[in-house]
Amino acid sequence: MMPAPEILVVDDNPADVTLIRESLAGTFYQSSVHSVSDAATAMDYLKREGKYKTTVRPDLVILDLKLSTPDGHSFLAKLKSEVDLRPIPVVVFSSSKSAADITRSYELGANSYVSKPADLKRFFSAVRAIEEFWFGYASLPPKETHERSRYSHSAD
Amino acid sequence: MASAETCKPGHKPRLLLLEENEPGEDPTVQELACDGSMSPSHPEHSPEKLHHWLSSNHICPCGPRQYAERELAHKLEELARSNHELEQFAYVASHDLREPLRMVAPYTQLLAERYRGKLDKNADQYIEYATDGALRMQALIQDLLTLSRVGREPVPLQPVDCNAVIAEVVRDLEPTISESGALIQFGKLPTVPAHPSEMRRLFQNLIGNALKFRGKERPVIRVLAEPAGRHWRFSVTDNGIGIAAECQANIFKIFERLHTRSEYPGNGIGLAICQKIVEQYDGKIWVESQLGRGSSFRFTLPKGVPEPPESES
Repeated sequence: MMPAPEILVVDDNPADVTLIRESLAGTFYQSSVHSVSDAATAMDYLKREGKYKTTVRPDLVILDLKLSTPDGHSFLAKLKSEVDLRPIPVVVFSSSKSAADITRSYELGANSYVSKPADLKRFFSAVRAIEEFWFGYASLPPKETHERSRYSHSAD
Repeated sequence: MASAETCKPGHKPRLLLLEENEPGEDPTVQELACDGSMSPSHPEHSPEKLHHWLSSNHICPCGPRQYAERELAHKLEELARSNHELEQFAYVASHDLREPLRMVAPYTQLLAERYRGKLDKNADQYIEYATDGALRMQALIQDLLTLSRVGREPVPLQPVDCNAVIAEVVRDLEPTISESGALIQFGKLPTVPAHPSEMRRLFQNLIGNALKFRGKERPVIRVLAEPAGRHWRFSVTDNGIGIAAECQANIFKIFERLHTRSEYPGNGIGLAICQKIVEQYDGKIWVESQLGRGSSFRFTLPKGVPEPPESES
């Protein structure tokens, strides 16, 4: 039995985090959802530093853009510039539909960009579609090789 | 001859007014500035000084016409600035209002979904009112945002084929069209310089209205265009309920609604958006209608990109 997928939600709006949790409650994949509300904590979480020494590395990051400084874009840039964090897929999940935000996200290495739907049903199905795609269809780098790649590959 | 540009606010004196005093006394001098303000007697008004002023460039040669032109240019500039600020405000307000509302609407929906029938009858009713209000407000804010976005397109105008636009709009309105059994006819339509999204919005609102305000018989909606000098004159004609003559002047005003929301849903922004779109292309929009006999919305759009006005020499 595969372990349940781990999702890290980086979003400072508790109402959105709750909706994301509600969306994923009782789905087939039974993802376990963790959330942090700012970029610095998210970085600790991903690097398993500070109080996150024992946490499991997430399989997917769902990232809001409107964070307190540093904002989502800066966090994304930092994450994608770290060799051992770069393989973790990041889905930007933001209320913004602005072309500038979307383009910037992809430029910085986002793996996809999804606008938060205003309607409840569409919100639920968007989050479930993200889960379905990444854990049902996409192939992810095996967890251990995240660790191994640090030693066996040079930084590209 | 001085042009209006040489005349700056606060530039003075424009004129020296001399009042003759008793013989033997020096005349009293007053300065009349370009901005119309009069300053009291000049302290140094010896005939020598006066002569110096008159012969030097101390006196602004602006006439009343230049003065008026300068004032007008200033007022226009102020008006443009205040209009721009208002538009900016409407844009930012509607944009930022969406964010908190994005929390209200889904959560009232969630409440309705999870707790309908589990509280009491009153609670169900309250939740329904709240959900309905939140959804309507979302639509309203979206329309206000659309309205304030008209003319903010950062890209230049491009040739827009109105036939393609109508085909797309008809596809978008398909559920309403098939439900009402409407017949949409359109002749060969021209290609105009415009923003595609705005043309889509324009036709969508007009055809959408024609479907919404339909009469008892099967709706027939006709979209035509004909040349009218340097413009195309379009018409979107329906056989719907029509508009009484006394109401026709107001329908393009924002929030103007002729019917209650329960009769016809809507928030009174659709035609205001149409007007803003047409007018920003230097066109005109109006309606010809008789109550009970259908309406024909007419608008003009330039055939080509308007030439920049020649600079005045």
